[in-house]
Amino acid sequence: MSPSISSTQPRSTQSGDLLQGTLDLLILKTLALEPMHGWGVAQRIQQVSKDALQIGQGSLYPALHRLEYRGWIKAEWASSENNRRAKFYSLTAAGRRQLKAQVKNWGRIAAAIARVLEGEAPA
Amino acid sequence: MKCDSIWARTLRWLSGPSQAVVRNSRDRLDEELQFHIEQSIEANIAAGMTEKDASRQARIEFGGFEAARETTYRQRPGWLIETFLQDARYALRSFHRNPIFAATVIITLALGIGATTAVFSVVDPILFRPLPYAHAERLVSVGLVQSLERQEFTLGGFYYEWQAHQKPFDSFTFERGVDECNLTEANPIHLLCASVAQNFLPTLGVSPVVGRNFLPGEDLPNGPKAVLLSDSFWLSRYNRDPAVLNKTIVIDDQPRQIAGVLPAGFEMPRLQKADILLPAAMDVAAQHTVNAGIGYPMWAFARLKPQISIAQAKAEMDPLFRHTQEWIPPQFRQEFHLQIRSIRDRQMQAVYRPAWVLLAASLTMLLIASANVAGLLSARGAGRKQELAVRSALGASTLRIVCQTLTEAVLLALAGAVFGFALAAILLRIFVAIAPAGVPFLTKARLDFRIIFFTIAIALLCAAVFGGLAALQKPHAEALVARPTQGPATARLRRVLVVMQIGISLVLVSGASLLLKSFRNLEQQKLGMSTDGVLSVQVSLNWSRYQSGRAYKDFYLRAESALRSLPGVTEVAISNSLPPDENTWHDEIRYDSFYVAGQPRPTPGAGGKVVTRSVTPGFFRILRIPILEGRSFNEEDRNAVGSLLILSQSLAGRLFLRESAIGRHIQFASYRPYFVLDGPIYTVVGVAGNVKNAGLAGQDSPEYYTLQSNTGAWSGHSLFLLDTTLPAAAIAASVQSKIAQIDPMTPVEIEALTETVDKLADQPRFESALLGFFALTGLIMAIIGLYGVTSFLVTQRTREIGVRMALGASRSNILRLVAWEGALLIGSGTALGLAMALAVTQVLRNLLFGIGPRDPGTFIFVPSLLVLVTLMAMIIPARAATRIDPVAALRCE
Repeated sequence: MSPSISSTQPRSTQSGDLLQGTLDLLILKTLALEPMHGWGVAQRIQQVSKDALQIGQGSLYPALHRLEYRGWIKAEWASSENNRRAKFYSLTAAGRRQLKAQVKNWGRIAAAIARVLEGEAPA
Repeated sequence: MKCDSIWARTLRWLSGPSQAVVRNSRDRLDEELQFHIEQSIEANIAAGMTEKDASRQARIEFGGFEAARETTYRQRPGWLIETFLQDARYALRSFHRNPIFAATVIITLALGIGATTAVFSVVDPILFRPLPYAHAERLVSVGLVQSLERQEFTLGGFYYEWQAHQKPFDSFTFERGVDECNLTEANPIHLLCASVAQNFLPTLGVSPVVGRNFLPGEDLPNGPKAVLLSDSFWLSRYNRDPAVLNKTIVIDDQPRQIAGVLPAGFEMPRLQKADILLPAAMDVAAQHTVNAGIGYPMWAFARLKPQISIAQAKAEMDPLFRHTQEWIPPQFRQEFHLQIRSIRDRQMQAVYRPAWVLLAASLTMLLIASANVAGLLSARGAGRKQELAVRSALGASTLRIVCQTLTEAVLLALAGAVFGFALAAILLRIFVAIAPAGVPFLTKARLDFRIIFFTIAIALLCAAVFGGLAALQKPHAEALVARPTQGPATARLRRVLVVMQIGISLVLVSGASLLLKSFRNLEQQKLGMSTDGVLSVQVSLNWSRYQSGRAYKDFYLRAESALRSLPGVTEVAISNSLPPDENTWHDEIRYDSFYVAGQPRPTPGAGGKVVTRSVTPGFFRILRIPILEGRSFNEEDRNAVGSLLILSQSLAGRLFLRESAIGRHIQFASYRPYFVLDGPIYTVVGVAGNVKNAGLAGQDSPEYYTLQSNTGAWSGHSLFLLDTTLPAAAIAASVQSKIAQIDPMTPVEIEALTETVDKLADQPRFESALLGFFALTGLIMAIIGLYGVTSFLVTQRTREIGVRMALGASRSNILRLVAWEGALLIGSGTALGLAMALAVTQVLRNLLFGIGPRDPGTFIFVPSLLVLVTLMAMIIPARAATRIDPVAALRCE
């Protein structure tokens, strides 16, 4: 695995609002499939995005904890696939509702941005 | 710690998903992050790396472990409060290590906050009290002023002309003053009745709580008779029974219908007490004929139209005033002026200036307190450079250090506020206790929470600014190794603070000492008479039982001989008024109405006023007023026909210059409306010493005495003076019974003249006490502040002094060096302070008595004192520094 810039730079912890919201959305979506620990979440996002999105640990764990405090995900300590104690996160009912809303919102924003970009293209 | 667990519980309760908080403790977080790294290592090994490379690569990928841990931890709800508590504990520990610093800051803040709050609470109801009228800011008092009457009044003839043609006012109304009246029905009582216009209440924006205002018909001379009751009278007489409406009440034998009741907080605009409001029922046409064609006196008030200022209203009223001025006889015309001012100004004019002075003094005090705190905190900040550098090197961010410093400042400010509040409560009680009766609304003074918050905000602000300043300067790496030295910026800041502080303290202390000196002058005032063993006996005769001047005379003469027969009474006199005439009635005439036989007529309008008193012969003996020339009145004169005069020394000197006044003839001119001489011709028999007759502080007027002779007319206005060997309390009962034998219905007031005079000094005593308090606290604060800051400046140089001494400087060299640098600060501070003080004390001019606002003594003594204090503050620590072994000074700090 080649080290990516974003994962080695602690600076990436300071993500902008859009990015932060996006990260929340990605985490919620990932956890909607099955309970997962933090490392799993990062790996899954990387795989699914075909290495396009790499989540730095400096942003991942603050985001996971933030979502947990908000009550959108809940955590449980359990054995991992290789029999270590790990913290598994899963979506709560509130998290599901939030995911639905955020997906809808994302769709709206993406469409809006797309329209803006298309409008600008001819000029 | 118990407090900790309460906090923790509170936090958990606040943060909702409490299990999450517990689960995410630091240990668990470490475990979670560790798991991530291990997973990473395993993945790397699986990808074919050696164990060492895999581990290294995983750590590189992870990035800053600490940073990730901190950022994640901060997601914890209540993290901010947790940090604050931690900072607070740290601050408390540091106060414990350095209690003198903490105590000094807290005391300074407490004094500043306490004094400002207490004074503002006293001043607030005077300066900013809401008036009980709708939109009171648009209500004005309109009238004439002249040299004898500075409180505007008007006359019926003028009023109706103005009312008919005025433009700047929405409405225009008047009251005719408050008179004594009697409730002449079952259980008769004495009342105060105000006569007002029909539109009086609507103009003020006041509606009766029960019933209605007067109807226009009730304000006509022969209309139906109506009254409005005050709330207190409604309560005391009718126990607030609403059924009194439309009932009949008999006032001065006149049955009247109760039309309504006034609201509880109602006040007359001139603040007179009134139990009952009556319609003035003026005969408008008669106002052009009665009282020499100018009508009866009245007091006019008006509501300004929106968007019209007082100045505009005055400009618009001026032509009307000029027109009506034509009715004033030409020789007085120029003396009358139109005055329009807000009702608040009219009510409070006498206390406005002292109130502002007090307010300014207390704000100055707050300024000094803030400067002290600023100086102390900034000095402490500089002293802690090394500590801050260490904390910074150990990884604390600048924000974190600033937060910590601010927490400390906030704690100090809060402690200061708590003590300040307690002090304010005590001070307010003291102020109210020592205040004279004349200060309006003082009993309504309450601690003002707005001002407490304001002062706390000021304290916090200066604590934050100056506490944070030192922390904000990024600690230099060399601060770790080098001995603490001060940056040039903070050193300059502290020097500026010292200069400012000397300056402001000088202003406060010199202002206060001027007022104290002025008060001492007032206390030592020469009255021109002796009040020892003199009692005044005032009787209020009910006019309804004394129909003629003869009846009054009979009463007074009988009472006089009855009082004479009392044991312990050596002399009795009757007078119609009493010096020193502050807040009491006395008769006065104009100097230009003196017509001396054989001299040209006096210039009309010139010369001001002359006080006159009607007395019996004993008056001069009892008050020990010396007869300087000629003779006093004697008992035979009382029954003789002929008009005699005794002039005061100043009046005699003015009328006759160096010639003798004895035997000269004087007549009094009257202007009706033209100069006529038709009164009796008086003969001057004596010249008496001058007596205070315009209050303790006032400019004395010339005076003359006429004889209260048995052949002349008497009014009900006289009072008795007794010369007695007994104290007032011992003789009061027998005086009362003697008077009661003659008229059992007459209330009698007995007071020792010494006490009367003493009371007059109450107001200045109050002002001086307050300012003296400020002077003292200001001085203490100045000393604390100057000593704290200057001694710190010197202490900082202990090491430098060590070096100099090691290099051979003598102790006197060092002291000279410190003193010279101190002298520069003191010099500039004193110059600044003197300039400010000389400008500021001009404001005090009207409050001062017998002392100028630039009294040289004050302006030498006060600066010397402050210079001495500051010098001491520099020399004492410098001397201590020179005693330290240079080696020790160099090595340890």
